[in-house]
Amino acid sequence: MTNDDRAAERRSPLLIQLGGLYGIWLREVKRAIRDRGQLVGGISRPILWVLILGIGLNPYFRGEVYGEVTFVVPFTYLQFIFPAVVVLNILYTSVQSAVSVIWDREFGFLREVLVSPMSRGMVLLGKVLGGATVAVVHGCLVLLLARFADVPLTWSDIIKALGLMAMLAFALTSLGVVIANRIRSFEGFGVFSNAVILPLYFTSSSIFPLDPALTRAQARITYPEWLVTLVEINPLTYAVDALRGVLIDYNQFDPRIGIAVMVVAGLVLFSIALIDFRRA
Amino acid sequence: MPSTPNSGPAVSIDNLSKRYGRTLALDGISFDVRDREFFALLGPNGAGKTTLLHILCTILRPDSGTALVGGFDVVRQSLAARRRLGIVFQEPSLDDRLTVRENLELHGLVFGVPRALRRQRIEKMLELVELTDLSDKPARTLSSGMKRRLEIARALIHDSEIILFDEPTAGLDAQSRERIWSYVRTLRSERKITVLVTTHYIDEVEGCDRVCVVDQGKLLALDTPDALKRDHCRQVLRVVPKSDDHRQEILNRYADHLEGEEGESILLSSSDSLVEAVLAEYGTRLRSLSIDTPSLEAVFLSLTGRELRDQAAGPRERTLAFGRRGGEHTR
Ligand SMILES: Nc1ncnc2c1ncn2[C@@H]1O[C@H](COP(=O)(O)OP(=O)(O)OP(=O)(O)O)[C@@H](O)[C@H]1O
Ligand SMILES: [Mg+2]
Repeated sequence: MTNDDRAAERRSPLLIQLGGLYGIWLREVKRAIRDRGQLVGGISRPILWVLILGIGLNPYFRGEVYGEVTFVVPFTYLQFIFPAVVVLNILYTSVQSAVSVIWDREFGFLREVLVSPMSRGMVLLGKVLGGATVAVVHGCLVLLLARFADVPLTWSDIIKALGLMAMLAFALTSLGVVIANRIRSFEGFGVFSNAVILPLYFTSSSIFPLDPALTRAQARITYPEWLVTLVEINPLTYAVDALRGVLIDYNQFDPRIGIAVMVVAGLVLFSIALIDFRRA
Repeated sequence: MPSTPNSGPAVSIDNLSKRYGRTLALDGISFDVRDREFFALLGPNGAGKTTLLHILCTILRPDSGTALVGGFDVVRQSLAARRRLGIVFQEPSLDDRLTVRENLELHGLVFGVPRALRRQRIEKMLELVELTDLSDKPARTLSSGMKRRLEIARALIHDSEIILFDEPTAGLDAQSRERIWSYVRTLRSERKITVLVTTHYIDEVEGCDRVCVVDQGKLLALDTPDALKRDHCRQVLRVVPKSDDHRQEILNRYADHLEGEEGESILLSSSDSLVEAVLAEYGTRLRSLSIDTPSLEAVFLSLTGRELRDQAAGPRERTLAFGRRGGEHTR
């Protein structure tokens, strides 16, 4: 052994942890890039939503369809759901990337990392950041469609949106890991994640505005109380709303609530994931 | 950085026990592995070999007893202990979607090997296990023997001093097995390493410094292969006399050494002095004389009362079984 070979011993522990963090993050990103299926889903999903749902429902959103068409709100349905499609893509990708926790456990890779000098917290952080990065990239795929959805974006909008998307992706990836830690098989995860993703998404004021006074036609119909309550207690509502504020300048709530909700949810979910991970 | 002089044993295990529910996987086992030793752990399925290695690499906690790796307690100083270990797990643990080189890179990163040294080691280890040409192929495309070689290379990217191999050759063909052992020999001559290996193939154990036979979590014997054979198996002298007269004579003369008769030959429990005596006295009247050297196989049989299974499960069966258990060993 030469002195050189002992070099690893002399490195500061922090540097080792950061290097390892980078390694685990890079692995997650590389795996995602090489997974064709995930990429196809990430591209086709927003196109489907924007083209079919968005364009298809566009007329029904513009107040009265019969008689004189009035534009009560200054945006179309397509514009309205556009930020929500960004959220949808992030939601799917985040939760999906958490599946890799199960893969790692099933195929022994996790052990290889657990016998390294990395702390468990750093291992988990690397995984979550990696998953979140991929999710943000998938969110950006939607932003590329902005022009077709008639959503004009400035650079400052994009940067603000990226910040919100990153916070959201972190929280949702942590959520995925929490779920994956509880469910130990692929099959179970598929069922459970669908049971979480879709209800969470549909009750987040993503595809319809909460405030029925938004358009005159809708004002006549009030939503049932339970639905309003569901939407209001769904944390995702506030994330969608914050993003909508940035992308199309329409807020139903104070955008600061959205940021606060995402930060708190991210911290809480990550902590739960870490506790599970330490114990497992 | 806590550091102790490397004069003590590489691995020191004292009264280690581990229980899974009702199965007692390790039952108060104690032994030392000396520095730079080539140490083999031999035992049938379920003997507790993997459990022991998992405790050493700190992914399992023992119920009682202590284990030191390079002088560091695996429970209280697990980080320092881990840094000294290189492990090849029984179940495959490569990332299939990364390339050969990326798998090694990742290992170097999480073990904090500085960039320049990392590059250099990766090249060297790829060369050692003869995977340089395949370094940019995804790990998924390697054969099971190649995957095993890659895992061995990986365990040596950081400054590992003590290498734990959990059945490195199980399920591989004879050629791959021989290759793997030749890498291990090369390594031992190039780097100061202690090797602790578990295996099912008795013939592979012959070349070790010491062998530890375990069964049902207990240590049955621990010694050099030669000493084990001497102590647990009797050497047998097999002589074939030229005629029946001589035969009768020998039978009478060595009645108290008689082990039995097999066709024409007479089996005598032997020692070196007996061999000399027989040769001196009957040398010219024997058609043949041979000494049956005891095999480790026989040692194992006499110690455990069982044969080692002759064939370890192939990698495919191993992965399937692993999946069925729900990825057990991952705690
Ligand atoms: N996670 C677990 N849960 C319950 N029992 C376990 C677990 N892991 C191992 N065991 C049991 O502990 C005992 C020792 O298992 P271990 O894997 O250490 O054996 P081994 O010597 O490595 O066997 P093999 O040669 O088949 O690899 C076995 O009886 C096994 O059934
Ligand atoms: Mg085993």
